[in-house]
Amino acid sequence: MRSSSVLGLILWSSAAFAGVLPKIDLPKDSPVAVIASDYGESSETARGGAMLLDLHAALTLRNSSQRRIRGITLLVTAQEVTPGGKGSVTVTSLDVGPFETFPLHIDLRLLRPLQASSAAPVQIGLDGVLFDDLSFYGSDKLGSRRTLTLSEFEARRDRKYFKSLVAEGGPERLRREILESMDHSAHFPTLDVQMVRGGRATNFEPEKQVQFAFLRLPDSPVDPMGGMARIAGNEARAPRLEVKNRSDRPIRYLEIGWILEDHGGRQFLAGSVPAELNLAPGQKSQILENATLKFPTRGGTPLAIEAMTGFVSSVEFADGSMWIPSRADLGVPQLQRVMAPSGEEQRLIQIYRKKGLAALIAELNKF
Amino acid sequence: MKHPNQVQLALLAGGDLGLWDRWRTGRHVSGCASCAGEVQALRTTREQVREVTAELPENLNWNQLAEEMTANVRVGLAAGEAIARFDKPSLVGRPRHLGWNAAMVVACATVVFGAAFWINLPRPQMDHLLSALKRVRTERIGKLVQHPVAGTEDVMLEASSLSLDLSQNGRTLSLMHPHSDAVTVSVSMRGSMGVRYVDADTGQVTTNKVYDAEQ
Repeated sequence: MRSSSVLGLILWSSAAFAGVLPKIDLPKDSPVAVIASDYGESSETARGGAMLLDLHAALTLRNSSQRRIRGITLLVTAQEVTPGGKGSVTVTSLDVGPFETFPLHIDLRLLRPLQASSAAPVQIGLDGVLFDDLSFYGSDKLGSRRTLTLSEFEARRDRKYFKSLVAEGGPERLRREILESMDHSAHFPTLDVQMVRGGRATNFEPEKQVQFAFLRLPDSPVDPMGGMARIAGNEARAPRLEVKNRSDRPIRYLEIGWILEDHGGRQFLAGSVPAELNLAPGQKSQILENATLKFPTRGGTPLAIEAMTGFVSSVEFADGSMWIPSRADLGVPQLQRVMAPSGEEQRLIQIYRKKGLAALIAELNKF
Repeated sequence: MKHPNQVQLALLAGGDLGLWDRWRTGRHVSGCASCAGEVQALRTTREQVREVTAELPENLNWNQLAEEMTANVRVGLAAGEAIARFDKPSLVGRPRHLGWNAAMVVACATVVFGAAFWINLPRPQMDHLLSALKRVRTERIGKLVQHPVAGTEDVMLEASSLSLDLSQNGRTLSLMHPHSDAVTVSVSMRGSMGVRYVDADTGQVTTNKVYDAEQ
Protein backbone atom coordinates (compact mmCIF):
# COMPACT_ATOMS: atom_id res chain seq x y z
CA MET A 1 0.00 0.00 0.00
CA ARG A 2 2.77 2.33 1.03
CA SER A 3 4.91 1.53 -2.01
CA SER A 4 1.95 2.04 -4.32
CA SER A 5 1.36 5.45 -2.74
CA VAL A 6 5.00 6.40 -3.30
CA LEU A 7 4.83 5.15 -6.88
CA GLY A 8 1.62 7.14 -7.38
CA LEU A 9 3.27 10.23 -5.98
CA ILE A 10 6.25 9.80 -8.32
CA LEU A 11 3.97 9.30 -11.31
CA TRP A 12 1.87 12.31 -10.27
CA SER A 13 5.02 14.48 -9.92
CA SER A 14 6.34 13.27 -13.26
CA ALA A 15 3.05 14.01 -14.96
CA ALA A 16 2.88 17.42 -13.30
CA PHE A 17 6.47 18.24 -14.32
CA ALA A 18 5.94 16.97 -17.87
CA GLY A 19 3.72 19.99 -18.42
CA VAL A 20 6.62 22.36 -17.88
CA LEU A 21 9.22 20.57 -19.99
CA PRO A 22 10.57 22.74 -22.80
CA LYS A 23 9.20 22.38 -26.28
CA ILE A 24 12.09 21.68 -28.64
CA ASP A 25 11.27 22.69 -32.16
CA LEU A 26 13.87 22.10 -34.87
CA PRO A 27 13.26 22.69 -38.61
CA LYS A 28 12.51 19.65 -40.75
CA ASP A 29 15.71 20.07 -42.74
CA SER A 30 17.81 20.81 -39.65
CA PRO A 31 21.40 19.51 -39.82
CA VAL A 32 21.11 18.46 -36.16
CA ALA A 33 18.56 16.21 -34.48
CA VAL A 34 17.78 15.69 -30.81
CA ILE A 35 18.25 12.01 -30.10
CA ALA A 36 17.99 12.13 -26.29
CA SER A 37 16.99 14.58 -23.59
CA ASP A 38 17.46 14.21 -19.86
CA TYR A 39 15.88 16.63 -17.38
CA GLY A 40 17.42 14.90 -14.34
CA GLU A 41 17.24 17.33 -11.43
CA SER A 42 14.72 19.71 -12.92
CA SER A 43 11.87 20.80 -10.68
CA GLU A 44 9.07 23.27 -10.32
CA THR A 45 8.16 24.65 -6.93
CA ALA A 46 5.80 27.28 -5.57
CA ARG A 47 7.57 30.35 -4.20
CA GLY A 48 5.07 32.68 -2.55
CA GLY A 49 2.89 33.98 -5.36
CA ALA A 50 5.00 32.53 -8.15
CA MET A 51 6.31 29.26 -9.54
CA LEU A 52 10.04 28.69 -9.88
CA LEU A 53 10.99 26.40 -12.72
CA ASP A 54 14.51 25.03 -12.33
CA LEU A 55 15.37 23.36 -15.62
CA HIS A 56 18.51 21.30 -16.22
CA ALA A 57 18.39 19.91 -19.71
CA ALA A 58 21.09 17.56 -20.97
CA LEU A 59 20.43 17.16 -24.68
CA THR A 60 22.20 14.78 -27.00
CA LEU A 61 22.31 16.06 -30.58
CA ARG A 62 23.35 14.25 -33.73
CA ASN A 63 25.02 15.88 -36.71
CA SER A 64 22.77 14.65 -39.51
CA SER A 65 24.64 16.59 -42.20
CA GLN A 66 27.63 15.56 -44.30
CA ARG A 67 29.86 18.36 -42.98
CA ARG A 68 31.72 18.84 -39.70
CA ILE A 69 30.00 21.14 -37.23
CA ARG A 70 32.08 23.90 -35.61
CA GLY A 71 29.40 25.73 -33.64
CA ILE A 72 25.70 25.83 -32.84
CA THR A 73 23.28 28.32 -31.30
CA LEU A 74 19.96 27.33 -29.73
CA LEU A 75 17.34 30.00 -29.16
CA VAL A 76 15.57 29.92 -25.78
CA THR A 77 12.31 31.83 -25.38
CA ALA A 78 9.77 32.14 -22.60
CA GLN A 79 7.15 34.38 -24.18
CA GLU A 80 4.74 34.08 -21.27
CA VAL A 81 7.37 35.33 -18.79
CA THR A 82 9.53 37.68 -20.81
CA PRO A 83 7.66 38.66 -23.98
CA GLY A 84 10.21 41.38 -24.55
CA GLY A 85 13.29 39.22 -24.53
CA LYS A 86 14.97 35.94 -25.26
CA GLY A 87 18.02 33.89 -24.47
CA SER A 88 20.41 31.65 -26.34
CA VAL A 89 22.93 28.93 -25.65
CA THR A 90 25.88 28.72 -28.04
CA VAL A 91 28.56 26.09 -28.18
CA THR A 92 31.70 26.89 -30.18
CA SER A 93 35.05 25.21 -30.90
CA LEU A 94 33.23 22.00 -31.77
CA ASP A 95 34.55 19.35 -34.12
CA VAL A 96 31.59 17.05 -34.74
CA GLY A 97 31.77 14.82 -37.80
CA PRO A 98 28.83 13.56 -39.88
CA PHE A 99 26.41 11.38 -37.84
CA GLU A 100 28.46 11.87 -34.66
CA THR A 101 26.66 12.97 -31.50
CA PHE A 102 27.51 15.69 -29.04
CA PRO A 103 26.03 16.89 -25.73
CA LEU A 104 24.50 20.29 -25.06
CA HIS A 105 23.48 21.48 -21.60
CA ILE A 106 20.90 24.14 -20.84
CA ASP A 107 20.51 25.27 -17.22
CA LEU A 108 17.86 27.89 -16.66
CA ARG A 109 15.51 29.26 -14.06
CA LEU A 110 12.16 30.78 -14.76
CA LEU A 111 10.12 32.73 -12.24
CA ARG A 112 6.58 32.79 -13.57
CA PRO A 113 3.09 33.55 -12.31
CA LEU A 114 1.31 30.94 -10.22
CA GLN A 115 -1.64 30.69 -12.56
CA ALA A 116 0.27 30.42 -15.80
CA SER A 117 -1.17 28.85 -18.91
CA SER A 118 -0.74 25.14 -19.52
CA ALA A 119 1.49 25.68 -22.58
CA ALA A 120 5.19 24.76 -22.35
CA PRO A 121 6.81 27.70 -20.55
CA VAL A 122 10.11 27.39 -22.44
CA GLN A 123 10.59 26.92 -26.17
CA ILE A 124 13.92 25.86 -27.64
CA GLY A 125 14.68 26.35 -31.30
CA LEU A 126 17.67 26.37 -33.61
CA ASP A 127 19.15 29.72 -34.57
CA GLY A 128 22.15 28.50 -36.49
CA VAL A 129 24.86 25.95 -37.17
CA LEU A 130 28.34 26.76 -38.51
CA PHE A 131 30.27 24.14 -40.46
CA ASP A 132 34.01 23.70 -40.91
CA ASP A 133 33.88 25.27 -44.40
CA LEU A 134 32.32 28.38 -42.73
CA SER A 135 28.98 27.71 -44.41
CA PHE A 136 25.97 28.36 -42.22
CA TYR A 137 22.50 26.95 -41.69
CA GLY A 138 19.74 28.60 -39.70
CA SER A 139 17.25 31.42 -39.30
CA ASP A 140 20.00 33.67 -37.83
CA LYS A 141 17.50 35.75 -35.85
CA LEU A 142 20.16 36.38 -33.21
CA GLY A 143 23.05 37.06 -35.58
CA SER A 144 24.55 33.63 -34.89
CA ARG A 145 26.30 33.49 -38.25
CA ARG A 146 28.54 36.41 -37.30
CA THR A 147 29.06 35.28 -33.69
CA LEU A 148 29.92 31.70 -34.63
CA THR A 149 32.18 32.80 -37.49
CA LEU A 150 34.08 35.25 -35.27
CA SER A 151 34.56 32.51 -32.67
CA GLU A 152 35.82 30.14 -35.34
CA PHE A 153 38.30 32.77 -36.59
CA GLU A 154 39.53 33.32 -33.02
CA ALA A 155 39.86 29.57 -32.51
CA ARG A 156 41.88 29.16 -35.73
CA ARG A 157 44.10 32.13 -34.83
CA ASP A 158 44.83 30.75 -31.36
CA ARG A 159 45.44 27.15 -32.47
CA LYS A 160 47.81 28.42 -35.15
CA TYR A 161 49.64 30.51 -32.55
CA PHE A 162 50.02 27.63 -30.09
CA LYS A 163 51.14 25.30 -32.87
CA SER A 164 53.77 27.86 -33.89
CA LEU A 165 55.06 27.90 -30.31
CA VAL A 166 55.56 24.13 -30.40
CA ALA A 167 57.30 24.43 -33.75
CA GLU A 168 59.61 27.19 -32.49
CA GLY A 169 60.42 26.15 -28.95
CA GLY A 170 59.03 22.68 -28.47
CA PRO A 171 56.46 21.50 -25.90
CA GLU A 172 58.11 23.46 -23.06
CA ARG A 173 57.51 26.75 -24.87
CA LEU A 174 53.83 25.83 -25.20
CA ARG A 175 53.68 24.89 -21.51
CA ARG A 176 55.13 28.28 -20.48
CA GLU A 177 52.57 30.12 -22.60
CA ILE A 178 49.68 28.06 -21.23
CA LEU A 179 50.83 28.68 -17.64
CA GLU A 180 51.04 32.42 -18.33
CA SER A 181 47.55 32.32 -19.80
CA MET A 182 46.24 30.45 -16.73
CA ASP A 183 47.79 33.09 -14.48
CA HIS A 184 46.21 35.86 -16.58
CA SER A 185 42.79 34.16 -16.40
CA ALA A 186 43.03 33.89 -12.62
CA HIS A 187 43.65 37.64 -12.29
CA PHE A 188 41.21 38.74 -14.95
CA PRO A 189 39.01 41.60 -13.67
CA THR A 190 35.27 40.84 -13.76
CA LEU A 191 32.36 42.89 -12.50
CA ASP A 192 28.63 42.45 -12.20
CA VAL A 193 26.91 44.51 -14.84
CA GLN A 194 23.36 45.64 -15.63
CA MET A 195 22.06 47.07 -18.87
CA VAL A 196 18.85 48.86 -19.75
CA ARG A 197 18.12 50.00 -23.29
CA GLY A 198 17.24 53.66 -23.59
CA GLY A 199 17.98 53.93 -19.88
CA ARG A 200 19.18 56.84 -17.87
CA ALA A 201 21.56 57.77 -15.12
CA THR A 202 19.93 56.84 -11.83
CA ASN A 203 22.76 58.20 -9.73
CA PHE A 204 22.73 61.50 -7.93
CA GLU A 205 26.29 62.12 -9.01
CA PRO A 206 26.38 64.81 -11.68
CA GLU A 207 26.55 63.38 -15.16
CA LYS A 208 29.47 64.39 -17.31
CA GLN A 209 30.55 63.83 -20.89
CA VAL A 210 33.81 61.97 -21.14
CA GLN A 211 35.89 61.76 -24.32
CA PHE A 212 37.17 58.42 -25.54
CA ALA A 213 40.89 57.82 -25.81
CA PHE A 214 41.69 55.28 -28.53
CA LEU A 215 43.98 52.34 -28.75
CA ARG A 216 44.98 52.12 -32.41
CA LEU A 217 45.83 48.62 -33.59
CA PRO A 218 48.27 48.70 -36.51
CA ASP A 219 46.38 46.30 -38.80
CA SER A 220 42.87 47.48 -38.00
CA PRO A 221 40.84 48.32 -41.13
CA VAL A 222 38.92 50.95 -39.15
CA ASP A 223 40.28 54.11 -37.59
CA PRO A 224 38.38 55.45 -34.56
CA MET A 225 38.31 59.24 -34.98
CA GLY A 226 36.66 60.43 -31.80
CA GLY A 227 33.84 59.79 -29.39
CA MET A 228 32.25 60.44 -26.06
CA ALA A 229 29.82 58.90 -23.56
CA ARG A 230 27.90 60.13 -20.54
CA ILE A 231 29.28 59.02 -17.20
CA ALA A 232 27.72 59.32 -13.74
CA GLY A 233 29.42 57.45 -10.91
CA ASN A 234 29.22 53.77 -11.77
CA GLU A 235 27.06 54.29 -14.85
CA ALA A 236 28.06 54.79 -18.46
CA ARG A 237 25.57 55.48 -21.19
CA ALA A 238 24.86 56.70 -24.68
CA PRO A 239 28.26 56.17 -26.34
CA ARG A 240 28.78 58.16 -29.54
CA LEU A 241 31.71 57.31 -31.79
CA GLU A 242 33.07 58.38 -35.15
CA VAL A 243 34.96 55.88 -37.28
CA LYS A 244 36.69 55.87 -40.67
CA ASN A 245 37.18 52.95 -43.03
CA ARG A 246 40.87 52.96 -43.84
CA SER A 247 40.80 49.72 -45.83
CA ASP A 248 40.19 49.31 -49.55
CA ARG A 249 37.05 47.21 -49.04
CA PRO A 250 33.53 48.23 -47.99
CA ILE A 251 32.61 47.35 -44.40
CA ARG A 252 29.16 46.20 -43.23
CA TYR A 253 29.70 45.60 -39.50
CA LEU A 254 32.15 46.59 -36.81
CA GLU A 255 32.50 46.50 -33.05
CA ILE A 256 34.36 48.92 -30.83
CA GLY A 257 35.55 47.51 -27.52
CA TRP A 258 34.94 49.83 -24.59
CA ILE A 259 37.45 49.91 -21.72
CA LEU A 260 36.51 51.85 -18.57
CA GLU A 261 38.91 53.09 -15.92
CA ASP A 262 37.94 54.04 -12.39
CA HIS A 263 39.49 56.70 -10.16
CA GLY A 264 41.83 54.10 -8.67
CA GLY A 265 43.29 53.34 -12.11
CA ARG A 266 41.58 49.92 -12.38
CA GLN A 267 40.68 49.08 -15.96
CA PHE A 268 38.11 46.62 -17.24
CA LEU A 269 36.40 45.81 -20.51
CA ALA A 270 32.88 47.17 -20.08
CA GLY A 271 31.39 46.00 -23.33
CA SER A 272 31.31 46.64 -27.01
CA VAL A 273 29.55 49.11 -29.24
CA PRO A 274 28.46 47.30 -32.40
CA ALA A 275 27.32 48.94 -35.62
CA GLU A 276 25.76 47.61 -38.78
CA LEU A 277 26.62 50.08 -41.49
CA ASN A 278 27.65 50.46 -45.09
CA LEU A 279 31.05 52.08 -44.94
CA ALA A 280 32.84 52.55 -48.24
CA PRO A 281 36.67 52.81 -48.33
CA GLY A 282 37.78 56.17 -46.89
CA GLN A 283 34.27 56.99 -45.64
CA LYS A 284 33.44 58.17 -42.11
CA SER A 285 30.40 57.25 -40.02
CA GLN A 286 28.94 57.93 -36.60
CA ILE A 287 27.86 55.19 -34.22
CA LEU A 288 25.26 55.94 -31.56
CA GLU A 289 23.77 53.62 -28.96
CA ASN A 290 21.18 54.60 -26.40
CA ALA A 291 21.74 52.11 -23.63
CA THR A 292 22.96 52.40 -20.07
CA LEU A 293 25.52 50.18 -18.40
CA LYS A 294 25.65 50.06 -14.64
CA PHE A 295 28.23 48.31 -12.49
CA PRO A 296 26.60 47.62 -9.11
CA THR A 297 28.98 47.18 -6.21
CA ARG A 298 28.44 44.20 -3.93
CA GLY A 299 30.43 45.50 -0.97
CA GLY A 300 33.78 47.22 -1.29
CA THR A 301 34.49 50.60 -2.80
CA PRO A 302 31.85 51.87 -5.22
CA LEU A 303 33.09 52.15 -8.76
CA ALA A 304 33.62 55.69 -10.02
CA ILE A 305 34.31 55.77 -13.74
CA GLU A 306 36.85 58.40 -14.72
CA ALA A 307 38.15 57.60 -18.20
CA MET A 308 37.39 55.48 -21.26
CA THR A 309 39.37 53.86 -24.03
CA GLY A 310 38.02 52.41 -27.26
CA PHE A 311 39.55 49.98 -29.73
CA VAL A 312 38.33 48.19 -32.82
CA SER A 313 37.56 44.63 -31.75
CA SER A 314 36.10 43.13 -34.96
CA VAL A 315 35.16 44.09 -38.50
CA GLU A 316 33.06 42.32 -41.12
CA PHE A 317 33.58 43.32 -44.75
CA ALA A 318 30.78 43.46 -47.30
CA ASP A 319 32.09 40.27 -48.94
CA GLY A 320 31.58 38.36 -45.66
CA SER A 321 35.25 38.14 -44.69
CA MET A 322 36.24 39.29 -41.22
CA TRP A 323 39.04 40.98 -39.35
CA ILE A 324 39.91 40.31 -35.71
CA PRO A 325 42.91 41.54 -33.69
CA SER A 326 46.02 39.39 -34.14
CA ARG A 327 47.84 37.74 -31.23
CA ALA A 328 50.44 40.53 -31.53
CA ASP A 329 47.65 43.13 -31.13
CA LEU A 330 46.36 41.33 -28.06
CA GLY A 331 49.86 41.52 -26.58
CA VAL A 332 49.58 45.32 -26.20
CA PRO A 333 49.74 45.78 -22.38
CA GLN A 334 46.51 47.79 -22.14
CA LEU A 335 44.58 45.12 -24.06
CA GLN A 336 46.29 42.25 -22.31
CA ARG A 337 45.12 43.61 -18.95
CA VAL A 338 41.44 43.67 -19.89
CA MET A 339 40.90 41.10 -22.65
CA ALA A 340 39.97 37.61 -21.51
CA PRO A 341 41.51 34.67 -23.34
CA SER A 342 39.35 33.48 -26.25
CA GLY A 343 36.95 30.59 -25.75
CA GLU A 344 39.30 28.30 -27.64
CA GLU A 345 42.26 29.32 -25.48
CA GLN A 346 40.20 28.59 -22.36
CA ARG A 347 39.23 25.20 -23.77
CA LEU A 348 42.88 24.37 -24.50
CA ILE A 349 43.86 25.48 -20.99
CA GLN A 350 41.27 23.11 -19.57
CA ILE A 351 42.59 20.23 -21.67
CA TYR A 352 46.09 20.97 -20.30
CA ARG A 353 44.74 21.18 -16.75
CA LYS A 354 42.83 17.90 -16.95
CA LYS A 355 44.91 15.77 -19.31
CA GLY A 356 48.37 17.34 -19.53
CA LEU A 357 50.69 18.69 -22.20
CA ALA A 358 50.69 15.61 -24.46
CA ALA A 359 46.90 15.68 -24.71
CA LEU A 360 46.99 19.39 -25.51
CA ILE A 361 49.48 18.89 -28.32
CA ALA A 362 47.39 15.99 -29.66
CA GLU A 363 44.32 18.25 -29.61
CA LEU A 364 46.17 20.98 -31.54
CA ASN A 365 47.27 18.44 -34.13
CA LYS A 366 43.67 17.36 -34.74
CA PHE A 367 43.02 20.58 -36.65
CA MET B 1 -9.97 10.73 -3.24
CA LYS B 2 -8.81 13.50 -5.55
CA HIS B 3 -6.36 15.94 -3.98
CA PRO B 4 -6.36 19.61 -4.96
CA ASN B 5 -3.36 20.50 -7.11
CA GLN B 6 -0.41 22.53 -5.83
CA VAL B 7 -1.65 25.76 -7.37
CA GLN B 8 -4.99 25.47 -5.54
CA LEU B 9 -3.21 24.72 -2.27
CA ALA B 10 -0.90 27.69 -2.76
CA LEU B 11 -3.86 29.98 -3.48
CA LEU B 12 -5.68 28.63 -0.42
CA ALA B 13 -2.62 29.26 1.74
CA GLY B 14 -2.44 32.82 0.46
CA GLY B 15 -6.19 33.42 0.93
CA ASP B 16 -6.55 34.04 -2.80
CA LEU B 17 -9.13 31.39 -3.69
CA GLY B 18 -12.67 32.33 -4.59
CA LEU B 19 -15.51 31.69 -2.13
CA TRP B 20 -16.67 28.34 -3.54
CA ASP B 21 -13.18 27.01 -4.25
CA ARG B 22 -12.04 28.08 -0.79
CA TRP B 23 -14.88 26.20 0.88
CA ARG B 24 -14.39 23.11 -1.27
CA THR B 25 -10.58 23.01 -0.94
CA GLY B 26 -10.71 23.95 2.74
CA ARG B 27 -13.13 21.10 3.37
CA HIS B 28 -10.74 18.66 1.73
CA VAL B 29 -7.72 20.04 3.54
CA SER B 30 -9.41 19.77 6.94
CA GLY B 31 -9.78 16.02 6.40
CA CYS B 32 -6.49 15.32 4.60
CA ALA B 33 -3.28 15.35 6.62
CA SER B 34 -0.90 15.54 3.62
CA CYS B 35 -2.71 18.50 2.02
CA ALA B 36 -2.99 20.21 5.41
CA GLY B 37 0.77 19.76 5.85
CA GLU B 38 1.38 21.24 2.39
CA VAL B 39 -0.83 24.24 3.13
CA GLN B 40 0.91 24.77 6.46
CA ALA B 41 4.32 24.62 4.74
CA LEU B 42 3.18 27.17 2.16
CA ARG B 43 1.88 29.48 4.91
CA THR B 44 5.18 29.22 6.74
CA THR B 45 7.06 30.06 3.53
CA ARG B 46 4.72 32.98 2.94
CA GLU B 47 5.45 34.35 6.39
CA GLN B 48 9.18 33.94 5.82
CA VAL B 49 8.92 35.74 2.49
CA ARG B 50 6.96 38.52 4.18
CA GLU B 51 9.69 38.89 6.80
CA VAL B 52 12.40 38.88 4.19
CA THR B 53 10.62 41.44 1.99
CA ALA B 54 10.21 43.75 4.98
CA GLU B 55 14.00 44.11 4.95
CA LEU B 56 15.92 46.05 2.35
CA PRO B 57 16.95 43.70 -0.45
CA GLU B 58 20.68 43.87 -0.97
CA ASN B 59 20.55 44.77 -4.65
CA LEU B 60 17.53 47.06 -4.59
CA ASN B 61 18.38 50.46 -5.97
CA TRP B 62 16.88 52.84 -3.43
CA ASN B 63 18.59 55.74 -5.09
CA GLN B 64 16.59 55.04 -8.21
CA LEU B 65 13.33 54.65 -6.27
CA ALA B 66 14.02 57.80 -4.29
CA GLU B 67 14.76 59.75 -7.42
CA GLU B 68 11.57 58.47 -9.05
CA MET B 69 9.57 59.55 -6.01
CA THR B 70 11.30 62.91 -6.10
CA ALA B 71 10.49 63.25 -9.77
CA ASN B 72 6.85 62.31 -9.20
CA VAL B 73 6.44 64.83 -6.40
CA ARG B 74 7.98 67.52 -8.57
CA VAL B 75 5.70 66.67 -11.44
CA GLY B 76 2.73 66.77 -9.05
CA LEU B 77 3.74 70.20 -7.75
CA ALA B 78 4.28 71.53 -11.25
CA ALA B 79 0.95 70.11 -12.40
CA GLY B 80 -0.77 71.64 -9.36
CA GLU B 81 0.65 75.05 -10.18
CA ALA B 82 -0.32 74.73 -13.82
CA ILE B 83 -3.88 73.71 -12.97
CA ALA B 84 -4.19 76.51 -10.41
CA ARG B 85 -3.18 79.09 -13.04
CA PHE B 86 -5.53 77.55 -15.57
CA ASP B 87 -8.50 77.52 -13.22
CA LYS B 88 -8.13 81.02 -11.77
CA PRO B 89 -10.22 82.98 -14.29
CA SER B 90 -13.06 80.47 -14.22
CA LEU B 91 -13.44 80.87 -10.44
CA VAL B 92 -14.81 84.32 -10.92
CA GLY B 93 -18.55 84.27 -10.39
CA ARG B 94 -18.64 80.66 -9.25
CA PRO B 95 -20.42 80.00 -5.89
CA ARG B 96 -17.66 80.05 -3.26
CA HIS B 97 -18.99 77.21 -1.09
CA LEU B 98 -18.79 74.69 -3.96
CA GLY B 99 -15.04 75.17 -4.21
CA TRP B 100 -14.64 74.68 -0.45
CA ASN B 101 -16.73 71.49 -0.54
CA ALA B 102 -14.64 70.04 -3.33
CA ALA B 103 -11.49 70.97 -1.47
CA MET B 104 -12.79 69.27 1.68
CA VAL B 105 -13.58 66.06 -0.24
CA VAL B 106 -10.14 66.02 -1.84
CA ALA B 107 -8.46 66.77 1.49
CA CYS B 108 -10.36 63.97 3.29
CA ALA B 109 -9.57 61.50 0.51
CA THR B 110 -5.92 62.51 0.66
CA VAL B 111 -5.82 62.03 4.44
CA VAL B 112 -7.44 58.58 4.21
CA PHE B 113 -5.12 57.52 1.39
CA GLY B 114 -2.08 58.93 3.15
CA ALA B 115 -2.96 57.20 6.43
CA ALA B 116 -3.55 53.85 4.72
CA PHE B 117 -0.29 54.21 2.79
CA TRP B 118 1.64 55.23 5.91
CA ILE B 119 0.29 52.39 8.02
CA ASN B 120 1.09 49.76 5.39
CA LEU B 121 4.51 51.09 4.50
CA PRO B 122 7.38 49.02 5.97
CA ARG B 123 9.84 50.97 8.08
CA PRO B 124 12.81 50.97 5.65
CA GLN B 125 10.66 52.16 2.77
CA MET B 126 9.23 54.88 5.02
CA ASP B 127 12.74 56.10 5.78
CA HIS B 128 13.52 56.33 2.11
CA LEU B 129 10.30 58.18 1.37
CA LEU B 130 11.15 60.68 4.11
CA SER B 131 14.63 61.20 2.75
CA ALA B 132 13.21 61.70 -0.74
CA LEU B 133 10.75 64.31 0.57
CA LYS B 134 13.57 66.07 2.40
CA ARG B 135 15.54 66.15 -0.81
CA VAL B 136 12.62 67.78 -2.61
CA ARG B 137 12.39 70.41 0.11
CA THR B 138 16.07 71.23 0.08
CA GLU B 139 16.43 71.40 -3.67
CA ARG B 140 14.91 74.15 -5.75
CA ILE B 141 11.25 73.35 -6.38
CA GLY B 142 10.25 73.33 -10.01
CA LYS B 143 13.59 72.20 -11.46
CA LEU B 144 13.09 70.08 -14.55
CA VAL B 145 13.43 66.33 -14.28
CA GLN B 146 16.33 65.62 -16.58
CA HIS B 147 15.84 61.98 -17.44
CA PRO B 148 12.73 60.02 -18.35
CA VAL B 149 11.86 57.35 -15.82
CA ALA B 150 12.23 53.79 -17.00
CA GLY B 151 8.84 52.10 -17.24
CA THR B 152 7.94 48.86 -15.52
CA GLU B 153 7.82 47.13 -18.87
CA ASP B 154 11.51 47.82 -19.47
CA VAL B 155 13.71 44.81 -19.99
CA MET B 156 16.78 44.64 -17.79
CA LEU B 157 19.74 42.42 -18.56
CA GLU B 158 22.07 41.54 -15.72
CA ALA B 159 25.17 39.39 -15.39
CA SER B 160 26.30 38.21 -11.98
CA SER B 161 28.65 35.52 -10.71
CA LEU B 162 26.00 32.78 -10.98
CA SER B 163 23.51 33.72 -13.63
CA LEU B 164 22.60 35.83 -16.57
CA ASP B 165 19.17 37.35 -16.01
CA LEU B 166 16.55 38.80 -18.27
CA SER B 167 13.99 40.61 -16.10
CA GLN B 168 10.79 42.20 -17.21
CA ASN B 169 7.97 43.43 -15.06
CA GLY B 170 9.04 41.38 -12.05
CA ARG B 171 9.43 38.14 -14.01
CA THR B 172 12.80 36.60 -14.72
CA LEU B 173 14.44 34.21 -17.14
CA SER B 174 17.89 33.21 -15.86
CA LEU B 175 20.53 31.21 -17.68
CA MET B 176 22.80 29.65 -15.08
CA HIS B 177 26.55 29.23 -15.31
CA PRO B 178 29.16 27.76 -12.96
CA HIS B 179 30.80 29.99 -10.39
CA SER B 180 34.31 30.09 -11.82
CA ASP B 181 37.24 32.41 -12.48
CA ALA B 182 37.12 31.46 -16.14
CA VAL B 183 33.70 33.00 -16.72
CA THR B 184 33.86 35.90 -19.16
CA VAL B 185 31.09 38.48 -19.40
CA SER B 186 30.44 40.32 -22.66
CA VAL B 187 28.04 43.18 -23.19
CA SER B 188 26.82 44.54 -26.49
CA MET B 189 25.33 48.02 -26.31
CA ARG B 190 22.83 46.96 -28.94
CA GLY B 191 20.95 45.04 -26.26
CA SER B 192 22.52 41.72 -25.43
CA MET B 193 24.67 40.33 -22.69
CA GLY B 194 26.63 37.09 -22.65
CA VAL B 195 28.59 34.86 -20.32
CA ARG B 196 31.18 32.46 -21.73
CA TYR B 197 32.66 29.53 -19.87
CA VAL B 198 34.09 26.09 -20.49
CA ASP B 199 31.63 23.42 -19.35
CA ALA B 200 33.45 21.26 -16.82
CA ASP B 201 31.56 18.08 -17.83
CA THR B 202 31.66 18.34 -21.60
CA GLY B 203 34.76 20.53 -22.04
CA GLN B 204 32.76 22.64 -24.48
CA VAL B 205 33.05 26.39 -24.88
CA THR B 206 29.53 27.50 -23.95
CA THR B 207 28.13 31.00 -24.25
CA ASN B 208 24.81 31.92 -22.65
CA LYS B 209 23.23 35.11 -23.88
CA VAL B 210 20.14 37.17 -23.14
CA TYR B 211 18.68 39.76 -25.48
CA ASP B 212 16.23 42.58 -25.05
CA ALA B 213 13.19 42.94 -27.28
CA GLU B 214 14.77 44.99 -30.01
CA GLN B 215 17.63 42.62 -30.76
